[in-house]
Amino acid sequence: MKKNSNDNDSVLIERVKNGDKGAFNFLVNKYYPRVYASLFSYTKSKEDSEDLAQQTFLKVWQQIESFRGDSAFFTWIYRIAINLAKNHFVSSGYKKQKVNTSIENAEIEISSYENIEAVLMHDQSMKQIKEFINNMPESLKTAFTLRESEGKSYEEISLITETPIGTVRSRIFRARESIIDYMQKELIGNE
Amino acid sequence: MNDIDKKISELYDGELDHDEIEGLLEIISGDPELQKKLSMYSLAGIASDFKTNEVVSINSNERSNKNIFSNIWLSNSLTAAASVLLTLTIVNNADFSRMDISSSSTNQISSAINSKEAKEVINKSEENLADYIIRVINDPNFMNSNESLDLRNVGFLSESKKAYTYSRGKENFKLRIEKNNFGLKKIRYWKHENKIIYLVPLSDGRVVTIYGNISLSTAISIAKSIT
Repeated sequence: MKKNSNDNDSVLIERVKNGDKGAFNFLVNKYYPRVYASLFSYTKSKEDSEDLAQQTFLKVWQQIESFRGDSAFFTWIYRIAINLAKNHFVSSGYKKQKVNTSIENAEIEISSYENIEAVLMHDQSMKQIKEFINNMPESLKTAFTLRESEGKSYEEISLITETPIGTVRSRIFRARESIIDYMQKELIGNE
Repeated sequence: MNDIDKKISELYDGELDHDEIEGLLEIISGDPELQKKLSMYSLAGIASDFKTNEVVSINSNERSNKNIFSNIWLSNSLTAAASVLLTLTIVNNADFSRMDISSSSTNQISSAINSKEAKEVINKSEENLADYIIRVINDPNFMNSNESLDLRNVGFLSESKKAYTYSRGKENFKLRIEKNNFGLKKIRYWKHENKIIYLVPLSDGRVVTIYGNISLSTAISIAKSIT
């Protein structure tokens, strides 16, 4: 079972609907890598993936009112992204379209993504991170995998692993920090 | 590691108490490093679900990714080299009625084309076509048709070592034949780098896809020789 992101993000989505740009930027930061990866696998072009990802989040901002939570939030974003990609190829004759990312004085904060894209484009890097996750202490790996791959809530993980919910929180956080530390040292060379 | 980081992790998972969210969002909005951390969390999640070939490789050679960022120019050039540039330029739509292969239904389409339903169908068809063409370009096995055709009457021979490729001098192409699920009534063709992808509807309800460095007239001759 995949993560049911509409539940996870429902509070933030409601805030975005009320014009909270901080919540919107949080969601952009959270989903940009996945959107970019999806677009890159579709377009095979870094530049187009960047342009289309920006267009995607612009549409997300413009159309957030129409999101009713019937599907996962990422599924909704994904549909927007892929439809934009298809239209881009079909109707534009592949013309480059630079998008103004300014949204009513709120800038989509995407400046820090360039390096992450580089990692995303290397499946060898992904394999290394996956291998690192597999070699993490069992307690961290289990909590992290149940959360990220199975989409379990902290409460569900607590029940499954018969561990206090506070411990689950800590384990997931420590797993993430450990993975980021690995990325910084081994993949980015930026200790 | 600090409390803010831990709360970001909890907010990322939708597990943070409501009354803590607002203050945290303000802190994150003003701190690029925290925003970057959030994206790294996302990347870690992608990696946890990663399966081989899920993310397109830009370099099949095994190599260390140490200092990958300091060599960003290298990865960019590899991207350019290895990525398929989808210059899906619709060159033209040949009028199929002139090709003497099939001209039925053209009038019906013309009369219905302004209806909302028809437009929706057409838009959907265009989406399907875009998916299809992208697959033709990107999936090296997609054009490896099981059909072995004798195209000597139009001067093309099947290459012995590449059973799926037909050639005539410097001209060569691959083809596949399938049911015309696109509803194509006209020949459509797309330019991709130095090759062209032709979709030619046949009179028997099938469509032939021809992908190679051949002219439109040659593609039509090939299609005619199939029917």
